[in-house]
Amino acid sequence: MATLFRGQLRSFPANGHAAFVPQIRKLVFECCDRWPSSENTRSYLFTRLVELARQNPHVEIVVRQRIHREPIIRGFYVNNRDKVVPLNGLSLAEINQKVHLLLDSSGAKIKHLKRRNVESTTESTRGIWSGLHADRPAL
Amino acid sequence: MLARLTRSVPALCRALHTQPNSTTAALELIRSQPSQYIIANFVGRKYILTPRDVLTVPRLRDVDVGDVLALDEIHELGSREYTLRGNPTISPSRVRVQATVIEHTKGKMEFIFKKKRRKGYQKTITHKQPYTRLRIGEIEIPS
Repeated sequence: MATLFRGQLRSFPANGHAAFVPQIRKLVFECCDRWPSSENTRSYLFTRLVELARQNPHVEIVVRQRIHREPIIRGFYVNNRDKVVPLNGLSLAEINQKVHLLLDSSGAKIKHLKRRNVESTTESTRGIWSGLHADRPAL
Repeated sequence: MLARLTRSVPALCRALHTQPNSTTAALELIRSQPSQYIIANFVGRKYILTPRDVLTVPRLRDVDVGDVLALDEIHELGSREYTLRGNPTISPSRVRVQATVIEHTKGKMEFIFKKKRRKGYQKTITHKQPYTRLRIGEIEIPS
């Protein structure tokens, strides 16, 4: 009986293959109560935050005070990374855009995706051609 | 020479005397093999896809993260020794493959530099291309 090594029994993550787990876990809004740079962020919190929380029940939404600083939004992800986006000088629509940028992201580091069409971990289905195992070509 | 002939004969023999006479028989043969692949058309481009791989396409605006899409334009289904080619596509009742949207991201920042010499004109455009990434599910061949 061949030895079964513990390393052979491990499984590799493939989020979305059988089940999908949303990668964002927490969204923290930090803004000042008084300064005008947080004006639009404050109005976003008063008008659209509750609807956002209802539409995304998987996300924990936190509002914190960040006095005398520019408003920011922090997204915390399942891979222990976080993304921080400043909301200084943005209109309500632009703040909404940034919120959805964080909600749609997976927390992975930004990488060059132009030439990466298909990233596969499965072995080649038809096998890899080997010159030593093929018929000798005849002229 | 005889040794070389006998090495290639088993695979050839197996392929010769397993001529399927119907699509169902062909699909049975493909399903019996350990792994399969498909060639599917997605957003106007053809990709060779296997289960569990991640497909990156330019941003799909009408799709949310977590949505499951069914691939309905499958041109080819194959395994190690057998391939079924559609005319032009295989009917969705024969093969079913789903793809889950896992994220909407942006690529790395690109810097496009433009200059006209001796005219005092130069500018740098920064650009991040948005992408959608999908995870391919299992290739289901219902019997």
